Amino acid sequence: MRTRHPFTLLTLAAALPTLAWLLPAPAGALGTAAVAFGLAAAAGVRRVLVPAVVTAAPFWLFLFVLHDLPTTLAIGLRITTMVAGFVWLAAVLAPDRLVEAMVARGWSVTVAYVFAATLSAVPLFRARARRIVEAQRCRGLSPRGSVAKRLRALRALALPLLLSALHEVDERALALETRGLRSGARRTPLAPPPDPALERAARWALLLVCIAALVGRLV
Amino acid sequence: MALSPALQLDAAGFSYGAVAALSAVSFAVAPGERVALLGRNGAGKSTLVRLVTGLLHPDEGTVRVGDWDTCDYAPEDLARRVGSVFQHADQQLFARTVREDVSFGPRALGYGEREVARRASDALEALALTAHAAQHPYDLPPALRTLAALAGALALEPAVLVLDEPTVGLDRALRAQVAGALHEHVARGAALLVVTHDLGFAAETLDRGIVLDRGHLAYDEPLATLLASAERLKPLGLVPPAVAALSVALELPGLPVREREAAHTLARVAGAQPRP
Ligand SMILES: Nc1ncnc2c1ncn2[C@@H]1O[C@H](COP(=O)(O)OP(=O)(O)OP(=O)(O)O)[C@@H](O)[C@H]1O
Ligand SMILES: [Mg+2]
Repeated sequence: MRTRHPFTLLTLAAALPTLAWLLPAPAGALGTAAVAFGLAAAAGVRRVLVPAVVTAAPFWLFLFVLHDLPTTLAIGLRITTMVAGFVWLAAVLAPDRLVEAMVARGWSVTVAYVFAATLSAVPLFRARARRIVEAQRCRGLSPRGSVAKRLRALRALALPLLLSALHEVDERALALETRGLRSGARRTPLAPPPDPALERAARWALLLVCIAALVGRLV
Repeated sequence: MALSPALQLDAAGFSYGAVAALSAVSFAVAPGERVALLGRNGAGKSTLVRLVTGLLHPDEGTVRVGDWDTCDYAPEDLARRVGSVFQHADQQLFARTVREDVSFGPRALGYGEREVARRASDALEALALTAHAAQHPYDLPPALRTLAALAGALALEPAVLVLDEPTVGLDRALRAQVAGALHEHVARGAALLVVTHDLGFAAETLDRGIVLDRGHLAYDEPLATLLASAERLKPLGLVPPAVAALSVALELPGLPVREREAAHTLARVAGAQPRP
């Protein structure tokens, strides 16, 4: 999958949750979740499938607490599709290839960069989160104790992650502007990713399926 | 009898999976000692810092902070004795004001509000941050955020202070401020271990040099002696600071490596009176 055109990967990742929400529950969402997990497993069980499952699990817990079984199933499978699809996409989509593909189609470099930065920030974010946990523990923050205590601890972990990330986005935007990335000049990438006709057709087909599902839902 | 060590490593080893990051490293640091931990990229310096803070436990040997074996303690418990500042320390700030953030550590350790306030004030004072105490950490320039993180570690008033690259991104004036605060803290009996690639800062601030080479302890001796021997440093990817090189080239008596001492010696050698 890694070698597919970035647009194909994006289309697939977008189509899965769309269909999960449009197709009748719970069978439709069960199908899309299965496909998403299948893709994740193909990309690597430990590296992709396990994180996808782990990320989706807490949602189920909340749903079980708040809703009855049919609702939990319907919503849970849809959320699972979204989460698994996103984790899969982040794993298989190389941000630099996406930028090249977008620029080759005439997108502005800035838009392409912002898009890719969002995706490539996921592993960076994880490393930063780990650093912050370690730093706060070395300042005496205990991850144990009463619920109230742990909630307060969460603040000391989540806030710096958010603040420093926001701050950085600010700085990056500034750095881009100073380098003139805002100009609308079109750049020709050195090696735009190949986009075989078959893949192109598959993307359109997927789009049509989504539209059909939408129409089917409305009428 | 010598003071019992504040920090002691005994044949400590650590591997990340198959990558051996540290092997059989032994040394002890007494209260009041100022140690530079040197070595090229990947030598194992940060790993050693993580062992001292209890974030990692040695696979072999022991790491002791005072009479505590780090294996028996979690990092948040070791924080009573070990203060630390890591690279990217500015990313750990989160409180609404610098003062609140500096208070976080002492408060987490359970000190009373009066003691927390005293420690925060002292730490801010030591780093000349008092004027910024009421500001939001992210309104400060990055260099001052790094200083705020260091103030947070000083506020723990730890017996052992370990710093990983504390001077990255700091200008000369701020580096001098950091050096001053560290001196003050050590004068109260703390042991100091500083990882740095900034040999000029090390020469001015620290006295003893420990060099790691691919996870092994290569040298452990007075920093001045180490910095005066370029031929030993070079294979380890280290270049002595200009003052040390000058002392060696001019064969100044005592081979001073600090600017002030070198200036005095030079003036004496030249037969002139040093300016005050
Ligand atoms: N989380 C990790 N997983 C696997 N290997 C690691 C990890 N962290 C460090 N290493 C490896 O352990 C060795 C020592 O790394 P360490 O970070 O301690 O070096 P360092 O002396 O701090 O280097 P630098 O000067 O670049 O900060 C290196 O070979 C490094 O690649
Ligand atoms: Mg390091």
